[in-house]
Amino acid sequence: MACKILTLVEHESGAIRDTTFELLGLAHRLAGEAGWSASDIKALAIGQDLAGPASSVAARGAAEVICAEGEAVRDYTCDGHARVLESVIGAESPEIVLIGHTPNGWDCAPVVAAGLGVPIATECSNVAFENGRPLFTRKAFNGKFIQVVDLGDARPKVATVQRGASPAFGGGTPGTVRVVPAGVAAGELRAAFAGVKKGETGAVDLTQASVIVSGGRGVGAAEKFGVVRELAAALGGQIGASRPVTDMGWLPHEHQVGSSGVTVNPKLYIACGISGAIQHIVGMKGSGYIVAINKDPDAPIFGVADVGVVGDLFEIVPALTRAVKEAKGQT
Amino acid sequence: MNALVLIKQVPNTDSPFRINSAGTWVEEGNLTYGLNDYDRYALEELLRLKDAGTITELVALTVGPERASSALRTCLATGADRAVHIKDDALAAADPLSVARAIVAAVKDGGFSLILAGLQADDDNYMQIGPFVARLLGRPCATAVMRLELRDGATVRVERELENNRLQIVDLRLPAVITVQTGINEPRYASLKGIMAAKKKEIRTLTLSDLKLDAGAIAAASARFRTVRLAPPPKAKGAEILSGPADQVAKELVRRIREKTGVI
Ligand SMILES: Cc1cc2nc3c(=O)[nH]c(=O)nc-3n(C[C@H](O)[C@H](O)[C@H](O)COP(=O)(O)OP(=O)(O)OC[C@H]3O[C@@H](n4cnc5c(N)ncnc54)[C@H](O)[C@@H]3O)c2cc1C
Repeated sequence: MACKILTLVEHESGAIRDTTFELLGLAHRLAGEAGWSASDIKALAIGQDLAGPASSVAARGAAEVICAEGEAVRDYTCDGHARVLESVIGAESPEIVLIGHTPNGWDCAPVVAAGLGVPIATECSNVAFENGRPLFTRKAFNGKFIQVVDLGDARPKVATVQRGASPAFGGGTPGTVRVVPAGVAAGELRAAFAGVKKGETGAVDLTQASVIVSGGRGVGAAEKFGVVRELAAALGGQIGASRPVTDMGWLPHEHQVGSSGVTVNPKLYIACGISGAIQHIVGMKGSGYIVAINKDPDAPIFGVADVGVVGDLFEIVPALTRAVKEAKGQT
Repeated sequence: MNALVLIKQVPNTDSPFRINSAGTWVEEGNLTYGLNDYDRYALEELLRLKDAGTITELVALTVGPERASSALRTCLATGADRAVHIKDDALAAADPLSVARAIVAAVKDGGFSLILAGLQADDDNYMQIGPFVARLLGRPCATAVMRLELRDGATVRVERELENNRLQIVDLRLPAVITVQTGINEPRYASLKGIMAAKKKEIRTLTLSDLKLDAGAIAAASARFRTVRLAPPPKAKGAEILSGPADQVAKELVRRIREKTGVI
């Protein structure tokens, strides 16, 4: 038994997450570039009672879905997942291992790499062969730069891959499903799953807002948020924030927009002093019209904005508030 | 119990970043540095346990060049008891796995029940050192932790941040390694008294030979993690940038917002 590319199936109680199919899409492109066959692509699902969901993965790009099943790995723990991954990778000796860069993926993937004694490229936005070598493209410096990494002669080459890095696989010959015991007993695990819970919520619900004015770390302090507040008020909108703002307690957590906050889709989103890290962008890129105000002309936020102003938010934002009031005949 | 915090000194995020002439990393000369933001939260979490009397000795450790000692001083000034600085030219361009191996060589016999680190470093964003150290030491690990509670002397209950405002609750058997997400607490600042006291605290420097590690092995591992290039991100369609005096720009923005969204 062997394969060239092994992908990890990400699921929650049997519901398969999209990242699974995107990894298979990427695996097929890589196999094409490397001259490997579609039958060299396998997927690993870890959990319990997976045969049903696994057949949908087999129908969408995996030549074989290995279901490592066991009561001890029914729910995700890093310890349980990592043990299974290490042993299956050992048996299949793939060239490339692809894992979604999700909270569970980034949790267990580096543990697996260290267990195998190989490096890992995390949070990749792309993997592609260049001159016969797979190169791993990822962001560094919170998105200010992209870094292209060559994992040399590492075997396997392990990567976590961002959501949206590749289209899902379109379909092909359905693969097979093989159920194997996870080979992990609950007693030997040093981590025990104790539940999933909802985080704090508050009175503000940004998901329904049609105008959001957000402030980031660039605002500088809680007491300086007035300029953002006034613009939001002039526009009849809500106040949003990037993570540092809520982390530092300048605003309550419910104002946080992004992957670990809320996903918003207002008609108008104005980002003030927000650099535009991917975790923020995924939460607001669906907005109808995006305005960015930032003093750094290279800030990634300008990449998703429709219109931008390079400058000091403490000049631009108050001027915009005045202009809005004027336009509304409020002055 | 004793605890260890793994820290890194990183360029401040508002530093003027420029790509170096080799095109493989940033030009270091014009950067200013500070303690990695995520690590401040990790340190604070342990300081609280120390304040509560649960932790007896708190050690801060970094792998980095000479300048990184000032980040250790920051930890000592806020309340860490002592510090370890792994410093060796052979580690300057080392891959993350080699860095983790150096850490493990230094802490192997430290008897640390808890090892905390930041979820990621603000420069490379690798998210690797904590889990690497956990696996190399054979300890359980949890990342992006937003709450941590020692239950009995043998387990720690953590809440890991998932997406969509959900958290996973996991019990880890001690000793364990945990990486902390920002916002878990409110990190304190050093007091003047703390800064003075820190001057008397020990920073122990360790080199590769102290750790019985081989520079050749590190070079070989680092060849399996080579940055081919660092580049500006590809420009997406990109915003149209307005320029001019603030009031003029504001009027133009209003015109566009009105035309495109109808909210004014
Ligand atoms: C697992 C994980 C989950 C995360 N979830 C989220 C999330 O849900 N939401 C989120 O936002 N982040 C999230 N983050 C954090 C994210 O990676 C960034 O660190 C964060 O978004 C940065 O916030 P910022 O843009 O406000 O700060 P910075 O990146 O520090 O940017 C500040 C910006 O302000 C500009 N600026 C400074 N002063 C001025 C001025 N006077 N005028 C104009 N501009 C100025 C600067 O040029 C800079 O671009 C997450 C990170 C991780 C690892």
